[in-house]
Amino acid sequence: MNTLAEIEQAIESLLLQPPYGVDPQQRHSALLALFKQELAYACERNPRFRNYVEQWPVDFCEADKISDLPYLPVGVFKANPPLALVGADDVKRTLSSSATTGQVPSRVVLDAATARRMAKGVITIIRDFIGPARRPYLVIDTPENLAAQAELGARGAAIQALGSFATEVVSCLRSGHNGDSSVDLEKLLACAAKWKDADVLVYGFTYVIWTNLVQPLQRQGITLDVPNVRVLHSGGWKRLQQQAVTRDVFTRGVASIFGCSPDRVIDYYGMVENVGVIYPDCDHGNKHVPAFADVIVRDPLTLAPVNAGQRGLIQVCSVLPTSFPGFLLLTEDMATVIDYDGCPCGRRGISFRFAGRAPKAEVRGCGNLENSRYQQPQGVGVA
Amino acid sequence: MTELIQPIASPQEIAGAARQLREIARQDQIAPQTVLEVFDRWAAALGDRELHDVPGVTFLRLWLRRGNLEPVLLRELGPSPVNGAWREDGRARLRAFPLGVVGHWPAGNVEIQPVLSLTCALLGGNSCLVRVPSRLVQITRQVMEKLQEVDRSGSLTERIFLTSFDHSRMDLQEAMAQSVDGAMIWGGAEAVSQVRGLPFPHWARVVVFGPRLSAAAMDAETWGNKTDRPSWCRRIARDVWQFDQQACSSPQTLFLERGAGCDPAEFVEDLKQAFQEENRQHPRQQIEPALTSAISLARASWLLGDDKNRALFPASPDWTILLGTGMDIPNPTQGRTLSVLVVDDLVEVVSKFDGTLQTLGLGIKDARKEELLALTAGRNGVDRIVKLGRMHVFGSPWDGTELIRPMVRLVRHVPSED
Repeated sequence: MNTLAEIEQAIESLLLQPPYGVDPQQRHSALLALFKQELAYACERNPRFRNYVEQWPVDFCEADKISDLPYLPVGVFKANPPLALVGADDVKRTLSSSATTGQVPSRVVLDAATARRMAKGVITIIRDFIGPARRPYLVIDTPENLAAQAELGARGAAIQALGSFATEVVSCLRSGHNGDSSVDLEKLLACAAKWKDADVLVYGFTYVIWTNLVQPLQRQGITLDVPNVRVLHSGGWKRLQQQAVTRDVFTRGVASIFGCSPDRVIDYYGMVENVGVIYPDCDHGNKHVPAFADVIVRDPLTLAPVNAGQRGLIQVCSVLPTSFPGFLLLTEDMATVIDYDGCPCGRRGISFRFAGRAPKAEVRGCGNLENSRYQQPQGVGVA
Repeated sequence: MTELIQPIASPQEIAGAARQLREIARQDQIAPQTVLEVFDRWAAALGDRELHDVPGVTFLRLWLRRGNLEPVLLRELGPSPVNGAWREDGRARLRAFPLGVVGHWPAGNVEIQPVLSLTCALLGGNSCLVRVPSRLVQITRQVMEKLQEVDRSGSLTERIFLTSFDHSRMDLQEAMAQSVDGAMIWGGAEAVSQVRGLPFPHWARVVVFGPRLSAAAMDAETWGNKTDRPSWCRRIARDVWQFDQQACSSPQTLFLERGAGCDPAEFVEDLKQAFQEENRQHPRQQIEPALTSAISLARASWLLGDDKNRALFPASPDWTILLGTGMDIPNPTQGRTLSVLVVDDLVEVVSKFDGTLQTLGLGIKDARKEELLALTAGRNGVDRIVKLGRMHVFGSPWDGTELIRPMVRLVRHVPSED
């Protein structure tokens, strides 16, 4: 039997370690053992998940590498009801991804313990990048996304995850009648005046910051003069790429609005299915993995881990969730492995750079049907 | 055909090329016999060692032979047009004439499809304006170089204009459509819908091949026979591997009719061995990351969907066998992912098919049952019913349509003097 209590104890001890200071070999051993326990626990809780694990080409009990353990593609979390390891009564919150129009969002269920660990995980990571102090928290979003809700979108989850760093929280966008949002300039300028010399935390989705803050303020020639901000942003670059806004243009644009240096603008990669783990850029532009998680970049041709310098599909691994089987997830995103250790920033373990969503298959053959009765949505409801 | 595949920058260039092609088709009529002679020489030239590894060329050599194409011509056009002559039809006479310029929009997944498509139109005496998908430019050039070598008089090559441009260039797509008298369109739903919507002249004849999907079926006497089973599994593997399962004739699902004492788990073990061997002989050289994701999702969705479902697959995305029950064809994943579904009655399964199904590959011991399956399949929209292992063998008719006749006008002449 794999008792949940044992697993939770092991997770807690990993959360207490310095997030980026553990020797990669040591970390691998600890994670491998815990992932095996979690897989066994999930198999006991969910017969369909057990079916998947049993058909996996490698017996996970015998595996000596995390990369050999059975992983799920993130697409399975588009199922309704969401794939779960707890009963409906234990679900405290459901997180959903920010699917674009026409797409089915991913949904993951959190029980109280997983939600608590999610918060701890994010705090541990962010603390390593901005320090532990509490400070004013400016949210580049509407007040609706600040409210605690049972069903929470990716934006709301990201905003709330940083709440522990806040002495006060102000959201500086307001919703219009037609669903659009715009900057509440009066409120924003008041905050800027009040927080002028203070350390300030700012968070927003990348495209929201650009379209609802930077562009309007640039058009009006307004700067905020809050040089001690830390601007965190996430949510991906797809929409900005469509507007030909590069990472550099974005960073410089944000820095000029706040009157801070560009290194105070930090992009991070994350997804709701990988609860409690985010991947901020270090000063060298690389992403790192905390002690309670791992990242494997797999060659799309073989699904084997790539060598340093190579690109592949990202697999995210996290020991934090116990309410859904989100330990080992193959994403549809691409990354390049910079190195497996030795980033000049001092953070141990793999360093990688995000390389966008895997492009849609280009070859559309004569066997490619759309809108037929054979094209049913994929995904399965596993209660 | 000086530069084999011409870069095109403007609609005017396409219109100019089409004008020239139409003049040639009208003024220099070419008899099918002449076309067959050049094709025969072309088939021989394609046997050169440097083309051995070009996908599809082995089949193309067989296709181009007179012994293969003459019966097709005879069946579709009758004996007289083959000789380029009028044939009597009561008091009237009939003779086949080309439409003029036939535009070809081949799919990007079948390496020799641009060439196969244009051969059909050439046999009808037409000129050809071909948009070669970017992925196939190199292969098409290699194959067409051999035609250039053997067609010393240029009688065929002067009738061919090959070009390649991005599919999103709607101005060029529209110019091409406006310039043709007939069109042969091949491909998936997205591509076909786009090309069908182009402004063709009202007289243009448009023939669409695809998008379709295909399935396979075996009775218990066949799949349960342990002696013959490895051979059948090799045939299935061959059909799955070709075109990376992206062709309209690729089997996506195999239905096994339940039989006493026959264990589907044993069958899929044999199938696994056949897939492993086929993969050893024909490993993938590359894959789109999105397809790898789709394969991973298909495996997981299948096994999470029902804890009685089974699956066999390696750690890589090389191949996948999904075993379960049910009469509905699951969402096709392609990429060598075969669903194997155990059913009580194949006829009941086939009676649920519709026009989406192009080919039904069969392994059936009982001839009477096969007869009934063929009849049921035909009634329910299936256009090809073939033995397993031969699902991709291209021939006329295809998708229920003749290949040469649609691009030919049959002209009726009633003499004015009795």
